Amino acid sequence: MFNFLSSSNIYPLIEKLIKFINSIFFLILIIGLTFALILSPPDYLQGDAVRIMYVHVPSAWIGLACFSLITFLSVLNFIFKIKNFYFINKSIAPIGFLFTCLAIITGSLWGQPTWGTWWAWDARLTSMLVLMIFYFFYILTFKLLKREELIIKVSSVIAIIGSINLPIIKYSVEWWATLHQPASIKITGSSSIHSEMLLPLMVMLLVFLLYAALIFLMKYKTEIIRIKKKNIKRN
Amino acid sequence: MISNFITMNGYGLYVWLSFGIVFVSCVVVYFKTKKTLKKYEQEFLAELQILTLEEKNKALEISKVAQQILATSSKAN
Repeated sequence: MFNFLSSSNIYPLIEKLIKFINSIFFLILIIGLTFALILSPPDYLQGDAVRIMYVHVPSAWIGLACFSLITFLSVLNFIFKIKNFYFINKSIAPIGFLFTCLAIITGSLWGQPTWGTWWAWDARLTSMLVLMIFYFFYILTFKLLKREELIIKVSSVIAIIGSINLPIIKYSVEWWATLHQPASIKITGSSSIHSEMLLPLMVMLLVFLLYAALIFLMKYKTEIIRIKKKNIKRN
Repeated sequence: MISNFITMNGYGLYVWLSFGIVFVSCVVVYFKTKKTLKKYEQEFLAELQILTLEEKNKALEISKVAQQILATSSKAN
């Protein structure tokens, strides 16, 4: 059913995608940075501190998206027993961890000039910290456990339990009175962010997505080679 | 104007530190990932080298991935 997902079929595509991303990445990065640091206007309240948004928000979104994807693939792996999903999850997790850490650090650097504090135990910040801890334990299973079947079981359980935290992160700013502002960009309904700031944000999101895709492809390629190396030894 | 760009009207420390941390982290992760990938590719090729010609041909016949890695390494060399 999922033969098209076999590593032999995917490998040549990975090579092509890595080359493609490498060829366009720097151009989009320069455009994104020009918009984020020069062309976009300062905020009427936060001044130039608002520029931190262009690295903070994409980091947070990617951190959340990676964990959602890990959970989704873990559930699919439970149902269909497709080992490839395990390798995909193993490659995604460090990226999600990196971006969640970056979202917390840049959020802290944004919090100091705007809220007057580096950290507050507010619902959004705390739930993001919880996500980071889930990522940490998720990655730790790959490092500590040896048996692959056990790793799949334990990591999937961590992912599924951790996914309970995802809606808490999303709605924390609505459910509780938090220092963190409510969402400015809504998929349904009108966004409260001006187009002069929305455009740089979207370009920076594209930059971060391309970077995340590049790291994922390199990590996934490493996993494929590692399996093939094992197979050669067995034969 | 350049002075304003550097100081970010008083928020320079926070803005540049945020962009700097993100940039440095991403560069470090990129090179670390690339190094690991290269290491595995080299190890894979070394495994292929110690096989007999018959075993090597069999491995290449079975695995498209082995063919790809060998082709990429030939290009690089």
